[in-house]
Amino acid sequence: MPDTQWPRFEVFQQDRAGRPYQNVGSVHAPDAEMALQNARDVFVRRPRCHGLWVVPAESIVTSGLQATPVEGPGRRDGAGAEEYCVFGKTSQRRSMSYVSELGRVTAANPRMALAEGQQKFADETVYAWWVFPVTAVVSSRTEDVESMFAPAEDKDYRMPQQYRVFSEMMALRQDEEDRD
Amino acid sequence: MNKQEQTDVAALAEFEARIERGEKIEPGDWMPDAYRQQLIRMISQHAHSEIVGMLPEGAWITRAPNLRRKMVLLAKVQDEAGHGQYLYHAAETLGATREEMLEALLSGEAKYASVFNYPTLTWADVGVIGWLVDGAAIKNQTMLARASYGPYSRAMVRISAEEGFHMKQGKEMCIRYAQGTAEQRAMLQDAINRWWWPTLMMFGLPDDVSHHSEQLMRWGIKTKSNDTLRQEFVNELVPELHLLGLTVPDPELRFDEETDSWIHGPIDWDEFWRVVRGNGPCNEERLAARREAHEDGQWVREAMVAYAEKRRQGLV
Repeated sequence: MPDTQWPRFEVFQQDRAGRPYQNVGSVHAPDAEMALQNARDVFVRRPRCHGLWVVPAESIVTSGLQATPVEGPGRRDGAGAEEYCVFGKTSQRRSMSYVSELGRVTAANPRMALAEGQQKFADETVYAWWVFPVTAVVSSRTEDVESMFAPAEDKDYRMPQQYRVFSEMMALRQDEEDRD
Repeated sequence: MNKQEQTDVAALAEFEARIERGEKIEPGDWMPDAYRQQLIRMISQHAHSEIVGMLPEGAWITRAPNLRRKMVLLAKVQDEAGHGQYLYHAAETLGATREEMLEALLSGEAKYASVFNYPTLTWADVGVIGWLVDGAAIKNQTMLARASYGPYSRAMVRISAEEGFHMKQGKEMCIRYAQGTAEQRAMLQDAINRWWWPTLMMFGLPDDVSHHSEQLMRWGIKTKSNDTLRQEFVNELVPELHLLGLTVPDPELRFDEETDSWIHGPIDWDEFWRVVRGNGPCNEERLAARREAHEDGQWVREAMVAYAEKRRQGLV
C-alpha cells in the first residue's frame, strides 16, 4: 500500500453561530470524516469554534485578483443546476484566515457559479474567489459542538493572558528603583 | 527582448508594485520563480523546525514536576505539531507536496532550526527554551506575519498568537526559579548558560554574510535584517536577566551608551556550521526519533485507509 499523505481538504471555521465560515488552512486525510477530526485538532485547540467544514480541494474553483486563469473543475459530470457556496477574500488586512463566506448561488456548473457569484457580490471588493458545490461540504454536527469544541474553553492555561509575567517584572523593576 | 521576456518584465514590475503597495500575493497570482523557490525553502524549513522542535521538550512531559506544568507542556508540544501543519499547508500552496517535504525531513536532506540539536539536560531547560528560544522565534514570526505572501503571513499570525503562551509559560517558570532556592537558581543559570549562544544563532548569519537577506527584504518576505532582530532580542533580554539576578555567559557583553544597546561578544559561527552540517550533539538522535515515529505510525495510517475504504463500501 503506498504511504501517501492522502487527499487535501480545505478547512473552514465558524467562530460563533451565525458568523460567516472562513478558510483557515487545510489538512490531509483518507476521507472527509477523518479530515474533520484532524481539522479539529489542528485548528481548534483554543476558543472559539461553533462549526467546521471540510471540502475536498479538488472540488474548489478559484480565481485570483489578477486576470489569472480560473483553476479547478469546469464541470461536474451528471450534475444539473445546483447550489454553490461563494467565498471571497475581502480585506488586505493582517489576518489568520483567508476567504470568507459571501453567500450562495445556483448554477449549472462551477464556472457559471463563479460568474454568477462575481455578479451577485459585485458590491464587495474581492481579491480572490472560491466556489464549490454545497454538496462537497462535510460539516460538523450541531450535537458535536459540546464534545468537539467546548473542551478548548476550559484550557485557559493555553492563553497568554493567564501569565502575569509582565506585571511581575514591572514589580521587580519597581523594587529595584525603590532600593536605589 | 522577445515577446515572452517583455511580458515577464511587465509582470515583475507589477508584482513589485503590488508588494510596494502592501498587497498580499496569493496562491495563483503571478510571482517570479525565485520568490516561489525562496518561500518554499523558508516555509518548509520552518515547518520541519516545528516538527523537530517537539522533541527536546517532549522528552520532559513524563517528568514534569506537577500536573499543571504537565498540562502546559503537553499543550505546548501539541501546538508545535499544529504549527508544523499550518506551515506545510502554506508551502503546499506554492506547489510543494507533503510527500516530498516529509521525505526531505526523514532522509536528513532538509534543514531545520539547529537550536533543536542541543540536548535538554534539566527541567529548567523547559523554562529557558520557552523564554529564550520561543522568545527569539516570536521576534522572527512577528516580522514574518507582515510577509508579502498571504498564506505564510496568515500562518505566522496564527503561530505568533499561540507562541505568546509558549514564551510566557517559560518566562513564568524562570521567574519562579530565580526567586527559589539556591539549587533552583543554579539549575536555571546553568540552563541559560547552555541556551544563550544557540538562541542568538537562531537569528541567522550576520547581515554582511547572509546571502538571502537582500532579495527577501526587497520582496517583502522579511522586513528586518538578522542583525536588527538579534539586537532587539539582546536589548530586551539582558536587562530582564540581570533584574532576576542572572548572568549572561558572555564576558565581552557591554552596554553602549551611544546606541543605547547591549553589545554582545563574537558568536561562534564555526559551531553553528558544525551543527547545521549534522555534527551537533543531537542531530542523529532527532532524525532517528522522527523516523521511528513515522515508522511506528505506519499501521495507524494503514488502518485509517482501510477504515475509509470500508466506509465507502458502506460496511461500517
